[in-house]
Order: sequence, then C-alpha cells, then structure tokens
Amino acid sequence: MVLSLVAMAVPAAAQDAQPEGIYIGQGPLTNAVEEARAAKLASQLQCPVCQGQSIAASPAPMARQMKDLIRTQVSEGYTDEEVRQYFMSKYGEWVLLEPKAAGFNLLVYILPVAALLAGIGLMFVLVRRWSTPAPAPAEAAEGDDAAG
Amino acid sequence: MIRLIGYSATLFSLAAAVYGVIAAIWGVRSKRQDILASVRAAAYATFGLMLVANLAMVYALVTKDFSISYVAQVGSHATPFGIAVISLWSALEGSILFWGLVLAFCAAAVAWLHRDERSDMFAVTNGVMLVVGAFFYMLMVGPANPFGAVFPVPMDGPGPNPLLQNHWLMAVHPPLLYLGYVGMTVPFAFAIGALMSRQTDERWLWLTRRWTLMAWAFLTAGIVSGMWWSYEVLGWGGYWAWDPVENASLLPWLTATAFIHSAMVQERRGMLKTWNVTLIIATFLLTILGTFLTRSGILTSVHAFAGGDIGYYFLIFMGIMLLGSLALLAGRSEELRTTGSLDSPASRETVFLLNNMILAAFTFTVLLGTLFPLVAEAARGVRVTVGEPFFNRMTLPLAVTLLFLMGVGPALPWGRPSAKHYRKLILPASVAAISALVAVLLGAGLMATLGFAFAGFAITTNAAEFLLGAGARRRALGESPLVALSRLVKANPRRFGGYTAHLGILVMALGIVASSEFTLDHEVTLGPRETATVGAYTVRFDDIWGRQEPHRFVVAAELAVFMGDRRVATLEPRLNYYEMSDQPITTPAVRSRAHEDLYITLLAFERDGSSTTLRVMVEPLLVWIWIGGIIMFVGAGIAFTYRGPKDGKSKPRAPGVPVKGKVAQAGQAAGRVRAADKEEVPA
Repeated sequence: MVLSLVAMAVPAAAQDAQPEGIYIGQGPLTNAVEEARAAKLASQLQCPVCQGQSIAASPAPMARQMKDLIRTQVSEGYTDEEVRQYFMSKYGEWVLLEPKAAGFNLLVYILPVAALLAGIGLMFVLVRRWSTPAPAPAEAAEGDDAAG
Repeated sequence: MIRLIGYSATLFSLAAAVYGVIAAIWGVRSKRQDILASVRAAAYATFGLMLVANLAMVYALVTKDFSISYVAQVGSHATPFGIAVISLWSALEGSILFWGLVLAFCAAAVAWLHRDERSDMFAVTNGVMLVVGAFFYMLMVGPANPFGAVFPVPMDGPGPNPLLQNHWLMAVHPPLLYLGYVGMTVPFAFAIGALMSRQTDERWLWLTRRWTLMAWAFLTAGIVSGMWWSYEVLGWGGYWAWDPVENASLLPWLTATAFIHSAMVQERRGMLKTWNVTLIIATFLLTILGTFLTRSGILTSVHAFAGGDIGYYFLIFMGIMLLGSLALLAGRSEELRTTGSLDSPASRETVFLLNNMILAAFTFTVLLGTLFPLVAEAARGVRVTVGEPFFNRMTLPLAVTLLFLMGVGPALPWGRPSAKHYRKLILPASVAAISALVAVLLGAGLMATLGFAFAGFAITTNAAEFLLGAGARRRALGESPLVALSRLVKANPRRFGGYTAHLGILVMALGIVASSEFTLDHEVTLGPRETATVGAYTVRFDDIWGRQEPHRFVVAAELAVFMGDRRVATLEPRLNYYEMSDQPITTPAVRSRAHEDLYITLLAFERDGSSTTLRVMVEPLLVWIWIGGIIMFVGAGIAFTYRGPKDGKSKPRAPGVPVKGKVAQAGQAAGRVRAADKEEVPA
C-alpha cells in the first residue's frame, strides 16, 4: 500500500530529471520577458485538483504539467489571451481565478466600486451636516484623550 | 454507556437552553427576579452539560469506542493520544459539539459576571445567549448528532483528516478561532438586550466594546494561527489564498474592527448609534455565515467538511436572526438618534468615520467576491472562480488606505486640530517618503511602494505616541524610560493598547508586503551531492530516507544549507503518506530568521535516491507576519484591562425593575455594580 503510494510520486521526478541547475517549471523559454509572462499566466489559472490555489502556487503534479504547457505555448508565440482561451476551452470559465470582466461578471467589479463611491458621498454629506454646530450643545468632553 | 451519557448531556443542554429562553421572557414580563435567577442557572447548566458531553466524546476518541458514530468516522487504532484528543474538531459533528462547549462557556461567563445586575438588559442578554445555544444543541441532538449508534461496531476507523494531524498548530488554531467566532455572540446578545430593554446608554456600549475586544483578540489569533498553519503545512509558501472559509473568518474580523473604532465615536460624540448596533449584528451574522459556508460544503475549500443538509438549518437560523434584528432596529430608531456634532472635519472622529467606510467597503467586496460564484451559477448556470487575483486587485487599495488612516488617526486629536498637530505629521511624512524611495529603488510595484510608505508613516505616528508620552513623564516625574513607558500604558490602557494593536498590524503589513513582493521562488532537481543556489543560500541534496511511523509513512530529503562556505542548517522537507489519503501531505522545512525565511518543499524523488525535486523559496520579512499577530493580541489584551468610564459616569440608569428592600440596598447595589465591572474578565 505505502510503497505504491511512494511510487506514485516517482514519475513526476523522472520527468523532471534535467541536468541544469535552476529553473522555474520546464520548457523552452529563453528570455526574462517570456518567463515573466508565463509566471503571470500561471498565477491567473486555477489548479483543477486543488482548492483555490493557482497552478503557480500548487505543488500538485497536474499543476506542474500545466505550467510546462504554458511555457511551451508562450514559446510557440501564443498571446496571453490565447493561452487563457485554451485552458478555458478545456476546463471551462471556472479555470480563471479572476472572472472575465464582461457581461454578468461585471457586477462583481462594479458593485464594490459603486458602494465605495456611495459611501464617500454619504460621508461627505454627513460630515458637513454634523460639522455645523448643533442647536443643542453636545455633551462630549473637550480636551485631548482624557480617558484614552 | 458513554454514548448514552454524551447524548443525554446534549439533550439536556437543549432542554436547559429552551427553558432558559422561556424563563427569560416570562421573568422580564412578570418582573420576577427568582425566575430570572433560574435563567442564569440554565446558562450554568448548559455549560456543565456541554462539558460532560465533550469529555465523553474525548474519552470515546481516546479509548477508540467505535460504537459511536463520530469515533467510527474520525478515530483509528493507529491514532496517537494527542491527535485523538484534537480530532474532536476534525469533522463536522465533533466541531459543532466543541462549538457548543465554547458557546455554553460564554453564556455561563456572561451570566456569572453580571449575576448581580437586576436590569432587563442583562436578562434579555442571557436569553439571547441561550437562543443561540439552543440552535446549536438542536443541531447536536438531531441533524449533526456526534453520538449516533453504529452497528455492527467496526474493528477500526479511518483516522482523522491527514491535514489535521500534521502540525501542532491544529491543536491551537480551531479553539482560538472558535473563541473568536463564538465570542462575537456576546456583543450581539448585549446589543439585542439593550435594544429590547431600551437601555441604549453608554453602559451597554462599553460593555459590548469590551466583549468585542476579547472576541476580536481571539479571532485575530485564530486567523493568524490559521495562516501560520497554512504556511507550515500546505507547502505552497503562502499563508492566505482568499479561500472562501478564510474570507468567512475575515468578514466578522473586519466588521468587529470597524465597531471597535466607531464605538469610540459614539462614546465621545453620541453619534453613529444605529451604525454601531448594525455592525455588531452584522458581525454575529457573519460568524454564522462563516460556519454555514464551512459546514455546508456549498463552497469548495480546504476547510470544508463533507456536509449533509445541515446548511439549511444555518440558513434558516441566519434568516430568522437577520429579520428579527432588523425589525428590532427599525422599532428602536428613536432611541438611536444622533445627539452630537463634529467640531472639525479634520478630527480624529472623521478619520474613524473614514476607517469605518473603508472597512465596510472591504467587507462588502470580500462578501460579494466570496458569494459571487453561487450568484453566477444561479444566474448563468456557469461555474466561475473568484480567487486571489480578484481579491488582491480589489482590496489592496483599501488595505493601503487603511494603513494611511492608521497613521493619521493617532496624530489628529479628538475635536479640533491645531497647528501643533499638523506639525506632528512632518516626521512621519518624511519617514514615508524615505520608505517609498527605498521601495522604488528595490524595484517594488505601485501598491507595494504605497504599502511600505504608509506602513512606515503609521509606525512612526503610533510609536511617537509612546515615545512622546513616556518622554513627558520622564521629564515631569523623573522616571526611568522603561518605568515611564509602562506607567504611561497602565494609565491609558485603552489608548495605548490600541496603538500597540496598530503597531502589530503594521509590522504584519510590512511582512506581507515584503514577502509577497520580493519572494524568490525556484524549482530545482538535484542528484546526490548536487547543489543549487537561491538568494544567499546554497542547498545540497545529501540523502533521501523513508520511515514507517505508527499512522503514516514518511519520506524526507536531507539537505545541507550553506551561506557562502559556512554550513548554516540541515533541512528535511518531508512527504507524509497517510493510509487514508491518496495524496501525500507535504511538510515543508522552514528556516526562519528576522530578515527572511528559507522555505523548502519536497515535490518529488526517485526511490533509489538518484534525484530529488525541490521547491526553494526565500521570503523576506515573513516571520514578522506572525510576530505582528502576537503584538495585535497583546495590544487587545492591554486595551481589555480598561474597566470602563470612571465612577459617576458609568452607573447604569435606574433600571425598570426595583430591587426588593429598596433604598437601603441601593447603595450596596451600586457597589456591586462597580465590583461587577471589575470582575468582568472571564477567569
């Protein structure tokens, strides 16, 4: 039982056996710009076998395979959008960690901003109203930090 | 036998709680103190019974009594003693049982600490604690019964979730979090008590604030220990994934934080009364929402237990509580009218208002993002994910603004600022400018630069309060610096406790910004004696070994770590194979130092030891996240020692219920009130 479990980890190791010293993921990328693009894309895609983790963060073998695939695609000249499109066609919209800002999904972007603006507006009104001295004097103690 | 004891105890808890609720209503209506005394007795009884039920379960877990359904679900003969004890909270039924214990403890503590109070407010408060209690005991008796019978009795069980047996923090994180969550029931009960009895004076406010502070401290500790656990166990080098359940714990934390600040505005200015009650109610409802999200399995998460239909019970309970609270709030709008005004828009009050608005927007954003997948699926029938990139984009500007406000608030006075106060901002502003410059030179992005700048700014203004205050004492009284500092804090515990908590969160912010902006992250595959260099560290792969432990098989890579030529550590990242789980659980090896963490995860290996694949991360300042969390807890503790307004201001308004023996006892009663104030710290 245990041995078979240990053995499961082995193929991944064999796959990655590569002579060179340091690399992030695998694949034929040659320059830092492409590296950065691949890393960014990996941080935007959900690891299908994990919970809420990006494939960049996940140590799962499946996430590592997807990382390698992204590198291959980037090196073959895919645009970022094409890479995302590829994974979406394979796994559905669910694979994007950040919902596409279009159609119904716009709500999740617009509502917080609208709420914040409404809050700022309300505060502006309230501070102005409250700043005019009230007819009845407030009981509030003057002086700086008497009780803390 | 144990099954019978445990189940009876839960059943009697339910009976006691239901009795207490009825007695509270009856006692308040008939103004009979003997009946109200029995409400307190009911609260003590639920605590005793819950203690019995929980001990029965722990005993069954330790003695592997597989005839009890919960033990059959999470126990196993291979489970060591300590893990058997903490598997009390490793699955749904057990964690609800434990929740019930904490809740009963809080109810008993509230009843005991205010046992000499004779006003309706406390009677209603006790009643509300028991209403919430009755709901949870009902779950234990019915849909989430941990003491179910199993037949035929299995020979062995599967053992608890491997993730929960992998680190000592699992013994700490859930109880702390539960104390925080459940603790928020107390302020809620006080709020409802104050509204129902129309005693919305300052007294309920500072009682409530103080209980909120305590729950807040534990919630903070629970969240931070959860982050730490995630960092030490999950092996991805991070600590916060914007997982739905993490979000669920953050939501009440945000609203409670808002309340702790806005309560001070009400205390000083008589403003924001409705808002404060709303925040307390929202905080409580959000803790129930959090439990609902965790327990129902409606959103996928590392924390979610496989849940049955228990979610509906939470949903219905939440709905009733929400509607009831709103109706009550609407009916009491007259009592909650604003009586004060602002002296100047540039005062500390305004900063607190802004802080509340930002925290409310933060709460709304996180809530919307967390629930949006459900909304989208219902509306469009398509599954979408709202994850880390979304939350970072939407909340980081808010978080950075909060850092800024934390710096401005302490520098501005209550009331009206003078030129002196503006001059006090010159030094912090220069610190901010220098921090920003350094951050830019190091190549930080916009948000990180602002984060460093405002954290530097706010650390300076908060620290300046300590230094200026202690300096003034030293000059005036000739005290030594340390004595001056400790007496300064003792004399104003609430104020300096607050500044301490600020410093904690600011230190944490530095750790978060630095470790997310400047982390080095490399994956390396090494043969025997091969080395890889990441940052200042050179890692050499020496050996790989495997070992059978009682309940798991452990594989570890032995690594020598060098800085330059000097060997500084031997690290052993592991993979743990539990029989229950088909995926190995990673145990990263971490070398923490003040300036950075070296974090190594074992990803894969050859069984013959010919190669190993490691993930090596170097994360600057990360340890300050945990230190900041501890400072926050300490700060809340200091603020908690503040025992309410000075004599004369704090006496409760004459309650509607006269004490027997009238005037002669009035003086005594007042004395007892003061004594009760002092005893408010639960033992």
